[in-house]
Amino acid sequence: MPTVMVVTDTFAKFGRRMASTQGCPYVIIAETPNPIRQLEPDALRARAQAMLPTVIDGLTLPPAEIQRRMREVAREEIHPSGVVRSASPV
Amino acid sequence: MTQAQTILTGESVADLLTRSYEHAYEQGWTDGLPIIPPTPEAVERFVAASGRSGDDLIGVLPPRKGRATVEVIAVNAIMAGCRAEYMPVVIAAIEAMTDPSYPLEFMQVTTNPMTPFLLVNGPVRQQLDINYGTGCLGPGWRANATIGRSIRLSMINIGGALPGVYSKVSLGSPLRYSYICGENEEENPWTPFHVDRGFERSQSTVTVFKASNFCNISGGEGVGADEILRHIATNMPPMYGGGDGALLLLGINHARSLFDAGLTKRDIQQRLFEYARVPAAHFAESFATTERNAGRGDADSVWRARCPEEIYLAVAGGPGPQDVYIGAGMPQTRLIRGL
Repeated sequence: MPTVMVVTDTFAKFGRRMASTQGCPYVIIAETPNPIRQLEPDALRARAQAMLPTVIDGLTLPPAEIQRRMREVAREEIHPSGVVRSASPV
Repeated sequence: MTQAQTILTGESVADLLTRSYEHAYEQGWTDGLPIIPPTPEAVERFVAASGRSGDDLIGVLPPRKGRATVEVIAVNAIMAGCRAEYMPVVIAAIEAMTDPSYPLEFMQVTTNPMTPFLLVNGPVRQQLDINYGTGCLGPGWRANATIGRSIRLSMINIGGALPGVYSKVSLGSPLRYSYICGENEEENPWTPFHVDRGFERSQSTVTVFKASNFCNISGGEGVGADEILRHIATNMPPMYGGGDGALLLLGINHARSLFDAGLTKRDIQQRLFEYARVPAAHFAESFATTERNAGRGDADSVWRARCPEEIYLAVAGGPGPQDVYIGAGMPQTRLIRGL
């Protein structure tokens, strides 16, 4: 089933790691800057509209093309080299 | 031993121990504190003490879906400083945490610092010197300190909750090093916690709660049962992360006073349920709405639990007018086998 993850940027790499534990390392992730809790409806709507092209890509591109685009990104994000702990987003 | 092994050398025992600690820290295998090196001989001894086979699968730990076999649990228990005879307690706790209804995956990855809290009941407390009296929440008791720590190391190493990588906890919590005590059954005038949950008094159990805080409540001594309970209730604020209930560790003084006043555990739960209510206007509307939608409030007030039964009672600690309130819920109790 076509799936896209919508997430704030702070959690994007974490989101890909979690997706990989569910067998979906190449999922397309639509990001927006963190935080969003303070946004008024109009500002939030603008953020959502800015993510729409990514969302449409994720829902319409063939799986092979998504995998081709995301292979390197996934490899770097899921297993960041040499990182075992971090005090800032990795 | 089926795990990969690392050979380290040192010019002295002290040097080797230091290198072991440094190596484990660099690999991300620790909670930051020194570890005991899990040699193959020690692992064999711990597996034997468990009464199980090393490849017995106790559970799968999220988010990395790590296989918590007896052997891997032993490795983490050794690193934590456990004695071999603690293994049955550690295994029972992991069994409880991997129950499908326990929110382990959420706990492993969330920004909230929720953590397991372990309550130990039965003869195992004396057998392993698990503190349930004075200072039972630490520091100072090896069994309490290391059994709790071994759970955390398993969550990191088996579950993969690497800080900042898979665990996204914003500030963390000192409770995540070790959070455990026994129940003071000897000075509990009512039935022990595990008996309330259907076990025999002669059986040993561990109950694992989802816990979010530690709040010591001082005072209320000598002012009557109702005032004691009102004092406790006003120190039991609702909170995110422990919203599923509350665990009250009644100190032995208050437990005796309440018992002597003729109150049953059920009476205490009911009164706390009624007293631990705060006007909704005291909170941000969004929080009050969340609690109301979860069944913990009405138009006028926010409640501490959905029902009296979600206020869990145990007796712990030594003399003094002190109690501990833990925002906690979703308890899973397991029999400790193989002692």
